[in-house]
Amino acid sequence: MIKLDRVTKQYGNKTAVHELSLDIAAGELFAFLGPNGAGKTTTIKMMCGLLFPTSGAVYIGGHELRRDGDRARQLLSYVPDQPFLYEKLTGREFLQFITDMYGLPRDKAVERIAEVIELFELHEFIDDLTERYSHGMRQRTVFASALVHEPRVLIVDEPTVGLDPHSVRRLKDLLRRQADQGTTVFLSSHSLDVVEELADRIAIIEHGRLVACGTLKALRDQAAVDGSLEEVFLTLTRPVEDRVTTRDSISFPRSAWERK
Amino acid sequence: MNQALLFQNLRIRLLRNSWRAMVLQSSMRPLTIFLCSLVVWCFVFAISWGGFLFLQTEVSVPMTGEIVGVLLDLLFLSLAVLLVFSSGLILYGSLFASPETTFLLSSPVAADQVFAYKFQGAIAFSSWAFLLLGVPILIAYGIVCDASWIFYALLPLFFLGFTLLPGSLGGLAALLIVNYFPKRRKQVLAACLVGLVMAVVVWIYRMAQASSSELWRDEMREAVTRLLSYFQFTRNPLAPSHWVSLGLRSVVRGEVGLALYYLALVWSNGLFLYLIAAISSTWLYPRGYNRMTTGGDMRRARVASVGDGAVAYACGSDSFRESWVDRLLYAALFFIHPRTRLLIIKDFRTFRRDPQQWGQILAFCGLMLLYFANIRRFVENISGPYQSGISFMNLCAVALLLCTYTGRFVFPMLSLEGRKFWILGLLPLEREQLLWGKFVFSMTGGILIAGGLVLVSDLMLLMPALPVLLHLLTVFVLSAGLSGLSVGLGACMPNFRESDPSKIAAGFGGTLNLVAGLLFLLLVLGLMAAPWHAETMLGEMKELSMLPIGKGIAVICLAMGLAVGAASPLLAMRAGIRALREMEF
Repeated sequence: MIKLDRVTKQYGNKTAVHELSLDIAAGELFAFLGPNGAGKTTTIKMMCGLLFPTSGAVYIGGHELRRDGDRARQLLSYVPDQPFLYEKLTGREFLQFITDMYGLPRDKAVERIAEVIELFELHEFIDDLTERYSHGMRQRTVFASALVHEPRVLIVDEPTVGLDPHSVRRLKDLLRRQADQGTTVFLSSHSLDVVEELADRIAIIEHGRLVACGTLKALRDQAAVDGSLEEVFLTLTRPVEDRVTTRDSISFPRSAWERK
Repeated sequence: MNQALLFQNLRIRLLRNSWRAMVLQSSMRPLTIFLCSLVVWCFVFAISWGGFLFLQTEVSVPMTGEIVGVLLDLLFLSLAVLLVFSSGLILYGSLFASPETTFLLSSPVAADQVFAYKFQGAIAFSSWAFLLLGVPILIAYGIVCDASWIFYALLPLFFLGFTLLPGSLGGLAALLIVNYFPKRRKQVLAACLVGLVMAVVVWIYRMAQASSSELWRDEMREAVTRLLSYFQFTRNPLAPSHWVSLGLRSVVRGEVGLALYYLALVWSNGLFLYLIAAISSTWLYPRGYNRMTTGGDMRRARVASVGDGAVAYACGSDSFRESWVDRLLYAALFFIHPRTRLLIIKDFRTFRRDPQQWGQILAFCGLMLLYFANIRRFVENISGPYQSGISFMNLCAVALLLCTYTGRFVFPMLSLEGRKFWILGLLPLEREQLLWGKFVFSMTGGILIAGGLVLVSDLMLLMPALPVLLHLLTVFVLSAGLSGLSVGLGACMPNFRESDPSKIAAGFGGTLNLVAGLLFLLLVLGLMAAPWHAETMLGEMKELSMLPIGKGIAVICLAMGLAVGAASPLLAMRAGIRALREMEF
């Protein structure tokens, strides 16, 4: 469903992402980890068609983003770390705008809007202007708008920031449920406990290069650590001189993912 | 749903909801805006009507002839230049620097549809000043010419078609600059602005020389011919502004067929240029966003903020890579405490890095400068009461601009610190220094902008030294007073939850500040400048000399004005400082 083929992205002389290749199947919950400035957001923006690869190609549902961007974007939803809402629209009006934008027939739109309002418990404030929403209310509305058109790919960047434990629990259930229903979920997060609990496969990127990719078990084997994801992550992203193997010598089989 | 229709629905909903929210929040605000706009509209209409009537009756200038044609050419050319810059700046801001950009570009909406949506917004926003200032001039022209209803019916059509041309040009320029100069886009813009200003200055200088008294020693016909030659560039047959001028004059003459030909010429070219801009945007917009995000200037990433800022500035430390403008400002404000100066520079940086903010001021100042530059020709042969009256009116217009500037940009400044306010609150400086920093920033900006405008106006009107000094003193008092009011009231009624300055200015506090500012403005103008002008005007017009205003009274009023000017900002600042000291955050 998502394919990155030797994608490189340069910012002037700086290489933000270097020859990154990923192949993510439909219904997979794929977590993307990395230290700050590792190239996560750049990768996500290339997957959404916001940035263009300097070399290589990104495919969503078989559509190459540069050549066939409109069709590719029709399949995906992107929830950025700082999501956007029109301040002078009510939540309901915003959802209507999204369903119109994605071309949902009116009957289907009405039905889907009612479903997401129910799912995210938006009843109390859905007819208020979004400028009055709290952070949690905004986040719920944004997720409702991301899912209202039933995307086949959901890309989420740091979704748990600023949420209370109840909301985080609801979010985790939602992401897992989406993946189980066949949506490909691409999750970028620093919350390693969330990733550890949810992800089918995990990729770790550092300085724009993929340093690990696989199930948690595969990552543990690679890091030679039998601990939490945090320990695995810290081991794999340790500075080069501290590591036994160099980054370039690590190889990753891109075989089909396996469920935990 | 059709994507164009989708965005129209979005715009209608946003406008409807914004209007409802504004009325609910403060019904005074729209009323104040409407009344102020009405006053400005009527003032411009009266001046224009008087001017055209004077030309027609006193100087016997034919209203559909070359001289009036030149004036209309110049009006539309000036508006075209302003529209290119303002629509270009607004489109740059909304296409590339808005939080909406990421949302729209990651959706399946076509890039040209987003461009079209933003284009309409930019045109509407940048041309409302034309509606306020250009429409009364043209209506006055129509009335003086005794034009038929067709003139008034075709006026909006000419205007709408005309805006497409500079708007598309501005949009194309924004797309091309971002695509081909992603690292140097601000420098390119600054170079364009400097080039434009220099061209205008050279032209005004040549005009001033041409219309000097020596010129009028020649025969009238020769003098006018020489003067008109300086406007030849506005009369290029390929200039759309010339087509509009020709079209409007044709309809006044009753040549409707010819007028419709020019209308078609304007529309066809406007739509063609818009089509080029919209088609180009399908690849230039996403490419431009990509180029700007990834090919932008990386220098800021290297800047390290260490040590004492004030010391670093003073020593020119390399750990701070601030621009020369900041250094210049820091040096110019040598009389202020170094830490307060740092706060002023922070505000200045925030302001200048937001083109949507200073773009509005630039557009307003540009319009006023053009008006001041052109008024010279109207008053060439009049002096005394009219000269004095017009200079006073110009002072009032600048004062209104200053009041708008402080209400729109200065009042929200403290609120805009928002959730970051604790950073300032924890700084090792007294809280009142925060306010004094903003006060000095606002007052300096106000004096530079308003003082410059008033100086240009008075010089173009050949006013004597005394009223020029009086006007500059009035501007100083107004700048200090309005800055004090806006900063003080901004601290008394902050809104830290809001991040949009226009919303803060539109709230209850902002409205109160606007009303207080207008009252202060009326009081200061009434006490400081009006008596002198009344004395001059009535003194020269003996038949109207009914008011016993002498020089003594004018001086007493001036002293009272100075006292009011000093007391108002001090009281407001005192209240603001007290509120800030007691503030918990």
